[in-house]
Amino acid sequence: MPNILKPVVVAILFAAASGLNAESIPDAVDLSSFPAKAIDDVVVPVPSEVFLVLDKLGNPNWRGEMRESLGRQTGNRAQTALLLGTVIAEGFVAVEAEDPEKVKDIGRRVLSLSKAINVEKAVLERSKSIIDKADLKDWKAVRKEFDGALQDVKGAMIELGDGDLAQLVSVGGWIRGTEVLTSIVRKSYTTDGAELLHQPALVSFFSKKLESMSNRRLADNDLVIRIRKMLTSIRPLIGDEDGAPIPAENVKKIHQLTRDIVVSITSQES
Amino acid sequence: MKKILPVILLTLALTSALAYVDDALSFAQEASLPYVKKEFSVREDAWGGDLAVKEQQAMQAQLFKGNEYWFCLGTDVKGAVLTVNVYDSKGKLVNVETRRTGRLSAVRVVPPKTGSYFAIVTVVKSPQERTGWALVYAYK
Repeated sequence: MPNILKPVVVAILFAAASGLNAESIPDAVDLSSFPAKAIDDVVVPVPSEVFLVLDKLGNPNWRGEMRESLGRQTGNRAQTALLLGTVIAEGFVAVEAEDPEKVKDIGRRVLSLSKAINVEKAVLERSKSIIDKADLKDWKAVRKEFDGALQDVKGAMIELGDGDLAQLVSVGGWIRGTEVLTSIVRKSYTTDGAELLHQPALVSFFSKKLESMSNRRLADNDLVIRIRKMLTSIRPLIGDEDGAPIPAENVKKIHQLTRDIVVSITSQES
Repeated sequence: MKKILPVILLTLALTSALAYVDDALSFAQEASLPYVKKEFSVREDAWGGDLAVKEQQAMQAQLFKGNEYWFCLGTDVKGAVLTVNVYDSKGKLVNVETRRTGRLSAVRVVPPKTGSYFAIVTVVKSPQERTGWALVYAYK
């Protein structure tokens, strides 16, 4: 090869390699060196992601997991938002139990709670659709509507500049979902079932959000203070980032912690 | 008019920014369509923005062992190459399958453990300075 061509060939090969390199997928990345601003907040899973796994784990007694009462609503906005979250989570339990009357009742309750915090419009169609699809026993579609109702309610609150309240809806749903999950897992404990509780980033995310609320009235609410404490207690029980197995004893403790808070939210005994 | 002009320009800029995120979202949703046919449910919310070439954005998500996920990425920029790859909390790649067609890209993840994962979006190349992107995910 003439000498004059060598640098050209090297340059072409280098360019080609760089191009390939740019598109090749690294097997590992150093997440600690990733700029914090380039990492979005944790994406909170929609309830059906969790219920879907529970479906695959066995056939729990879903009717036994349903709460008879959906809870009392007070004029307190924090309690209403938390209650709305628990009611939406209850919707998933009723879907699993394939109880159309309960699902329809929950659909109507979602609407009335949304009205109490001025986001009724956002969820009106969803509520109607939940009732229609429950009549048809189209459970997959009902699940989708409940997921959508949660997103719509939160979206409407954020649009109204009430991001803190939106977080409380998420937290309420997560607490009730975790209460149900731990109830099922502790009744027939398996490490696979308990592994569903391995959510350290999510718990830290909720803690961070509740600690940095800009609305002081919400931040100083008794229920919110109790939930912050509960999250601090749960954090060491759900394992580290490595995902060590979560023992049955921890599942029981998490169940107790979440159950107590659900009782407080639904009966407003803070 | 002098006072209104900046408002009009700002409105136009915002409208155009929102428009390209919307376009990118349409492509991301299009990327998810094959999986909807396979009984996957697509989350109704989406994530997006714009990035310079070689710039990256990570989205941290809680994934559950037992579920299967497709992360679907779209861009509004013709000729741009964007990737999405998913890593576990230790930074290990967990994609088990990748599909890419034009402006659409998707990766399949079967989480080996329940926990926190990072979907990292990268603009590999683009004819534009900033490239709009949107990401949705589907699960079953």
